Amino acid sequence: MSLVPAHDPELPGRPPLVLVRVGPFSFRANLRVVALVAGAAALLAALALWGLTLGDVRFSWSEIAQAIAGQGPPSATFIVRDLRLPRILAALLVGPMLAMAGAIFQGLVRNPLVAPDVIGINAGASAAAVLWIVTRKPPALVPVAAFLGAVAAAAAIYLLTWRGRIATGRLIVVGIGVNALLTAATTFLLVQARIQDAGRAVLWMTGSLYAADWADVRLLAAALAVLGPLGATLMPALRVLQLGDLGAAALGMRVERRRLALLLVGCALAAVAVSVAGPVGFVALMVPHAARLLAGPMTGGVFLFTGLLGGLLLLGADLVAQHGLPASLPVGVVTAALGAPYFLAVLYRSGAKG
Amino acid sequence: MSRLQTEGLTLAYTETRAVVEALSLQIPDGAVTAIVGPNGCGKSTLLKALGRLIAPRSGAVLLDGKAIHRLPTREVARQLGLLPQSPEAPEAIVVEDLVHRGRYPHQSVFQPPSKEDREAVERALARTGLTALRDRPVDELSGGQRQRAWIAMALAQETPILLLDEPTTYLDLAHQQEVLELIRRLSREEGRTVVVVLHDVNHAAWVADHAVALCHGRVVAAGPPHEVFSPGVLQAVFGVPCDVLACPGFDCSLCLPRGRTLHYVPGDGAAPAQPAPALRAEGLTLGYGGHPVVVDLSVTFPAGKVSAIVGPNGCGKSTLLRALAGLLPPARGQLYLGDRPLHGWAPRARARQVGLLPQLNAAPPHMSVDEVVALGRYPYQRWYRQWTRADLQAMERAMEATGVLDLRWRPLASLSGGQRQRVWLAMALAQETPILLLDEPTSFLDMAHQVAVLDLVREMNRREGRTVIMVLHDLDQASQYADFVVAMKEGRLVAAGPPSEVIREDLVEEVFGVRSTIFSDPATGAPVVMLQALARGAG
Repeated sequence: MSLVPAHDPELPGRPPLVLVRVGPFSFRANLRVVALVAGAAALLAALALWGLTLGDVRFSWSEIAQAIAGQGPPSATFIVRDLRLPRILAALLVGPMLAMAGAIFQGLVRNPLVAPDVIGINAGASAAAVLWIVTRKPPALVPVAAFLGAVAAAAAIYLLTWRGRIATGRLIVVGIGVNALLTAATTFLLVQARIQDAGRAVLWMTGSLYAADWADVRLLAAALAVLGPLGATLMPALRVLQLGDLGAAALGMRVERRRLALLLVGCALAAVAVSVAGPVGFVALMVPHAARLLAGPMTGGVFLFTGLLGGLLLLGADLVAQHGLPASLPVGVVTAALGAPYFLAVLYRSGAKG
Repeated sequence: MSRLQTEGLTLAYTETRAVVEALSLQIPDGAVTAIVGPNGCGKSTLLKALGRLIAPRSGAVLLDGKAIHRLPTREVARQLGLLPQSPEAPEAIVVEDLVHRGRYPHQSVFQPPSKEDREAVERALARTGLTALRDRPVDELSGGQRQRAWIAMALAQETPILLLDEPTTYLDLAHQQEVLELIRRLSREEGRTVVVVLHDVNHAAWVADHAVALCHGRVVAAGPPHEVFSPGVLQAVFGVPCDVLACPGFDCSLCLPRGRTLHYVPGDGAAPAQPAPALRAEGLTLGYGGHPVVVDLSVTFPAGKVSAIVGPNGCGKSTLLRALAGLLPPARGQLYLGDRPLHGWAPRARARQVGLLPQLNAAPPHMSVDEVVALGRYPYQRWYRQWTRADLQAMERAMEATGVLDLRWRPLASLSGGQRQRVWLAMALAQETPILLLDEPTSFLDMAHQVAVLDLVREMNRREGRTVIMVLHDLDQASQYADFVVAMKEGRLVAAGPPSEVIREDLVEEVFGVRSTIFSDPATGAPVVMLQALARGAG
């Protein structure tokens, strides 16, 4: 492996870039982004460890270490290994997936106001999950229903948008239409349902991690392990797509193929995350925006940073929802409470500039 | 004293930088005043202030001796009509309704159109020759017709003073002529005062009785056009050496900007080390969704030369260029890159042979110049090999050649139009293709930047032997910079050959539908086009 400074002449604003070569792999890295990634990862690890100590029962660090290793008293092992750890890991995995999905969608349609929650993918998951809950099907299979709902919504949006190619403006309009339709269907199901079922459904729709178990964590980890790197390798294509279809095609890109790949990865990330945690709002919208603000335009490194930032936000929000408030709340309430003001601030600032 | 004037006018959008500074100007009554200057010199801002759309920081715009921003809106609107640059029509509005909107300052609430309103609309339609088109939706009109419809709206306002912001930009020759003639008739026959911001100095020389040259918000020269458009003033305003060519039989002259590569003789450049494969079209028919845009076109673009494609708007120039880049499969016929059909190439391999710079590039938000130029290396990159020394060297060569190396880490959004266009060129150069296709590389640029970009294109061609094929709007630029000119009309090839064979009076009339006199540039021998109807006294 070799690290070479990628540029010689000093000019104002020059980012600290290095050329990284490992065998056949070679890419350019921005040391600032590397530092941000390392910082976010360290912060995330610290937050996760601290999260393990929080709760009604207090444990010392050694007790926690023993519990994780399975050597402590059974009650401590149960609380740490089967209650706290899966919930924290689920937050660590769902947050990045939502944020990465948001980054992909925002890049695809070149619009920072787009996320899976806006164009109907979360609404598809919600509609299916609510149907499942109010018809009293086995609750264990709610995630499966939600996943299928999200995939079906994504497929519907794709097919309705397709006219020989995917026009991004049309994608947004179709997505918002599908979102409205599915939201209406969900509302209809809720008002028709018995009150207890409706209550459970609304709780699921707010997005929460309280029921996360090891099966969920394994599913999320497997999905992220496949989709995360896939998304990162698609980032150069996403950057070229910012030139518009004609510009991208002129650079030898198979535009429709790349766009389909990006859509599939984005939808899959969102669908898996939502199937476990419910449609947690604002993470996919807010985090990519904040990441670009801190680290610059989307590259593989910034994509990774986006993921870590998503993990930080969701884990932080879940810890606040669980422990920081008088009553324990679903995490979606906290992300929405954070996201809405953030969003308004961004709109206000961009409005003041333009 | 003239009706409209400014007194020590200072205009600014921010606290720190004035766009127009301490400007005192008299607008002659009943005449056409043209304002010219480079991009960002404050000409549109000045026009907006004259039209009461922005308030002065200090000083005043005076209408009949009164400060205009103290007068009631309606009163001003009855004296003074302003047509902004490229206005957008509401969808599906018909010409007559659009023109009717000009009557707004004369109407009161809930009143049906009065007899005067109807008569004013009729007069405006007749004046602009749109009476027959009154029921047509505005979005179905051609560029020239649409511009006339907007002018008709301003006319219906029946103001003695008209302010027009770049009414000829983005129109082709025939439509430019239509609009310029109309402006001149408004002043000659109706005695209106017209203030018009123009992009093209030659248009200003044709149409104006009085010219104002602005630079950095200050007046460099004002007076009759033949005094203002002198080589000295043009050099001072645009920073480009210009020759002013007297045209026998016409009482206005032609301004010819002189680039660095003026004395370039075709073929004197170093022979390309590897002759680039030429692009060749055979019986090419192109279209979108069955509707043919280019029909049965056969032409060979010579290798190692600069070729220009010219023709009126909508003649299929850009479509042809897109097909030459391999981005539009032929409906019939074939395109060859060297001996191989262009569509036999894999996209990436093709993108290493042919580069295309589209007319309008979406500016990626927040990207720096470096990152934008790096996009040009995409055809050479793989997911595991995203960055190599070769990429870096190609990028730096491209930025060096286009002179944007100093801007390297600046965000694209912070650059001027001319700088941005050079960045796009650097991106296309970094692609390192032997063939480069450019779609109107000089649109949106002022004279200095146009010349700089065209000089650069030809230097690349000479130094590196790259084949350049570009769509150009301006016939004089095509004749000055191209070795080979292709003229198209309605999707068909009209003529192809060296400029002296294609830019001829009969062919200009056939292609653009305008009568012209062709002069020979004494310095280069290249043909120069003077539109006949625009000559003084001929209108």
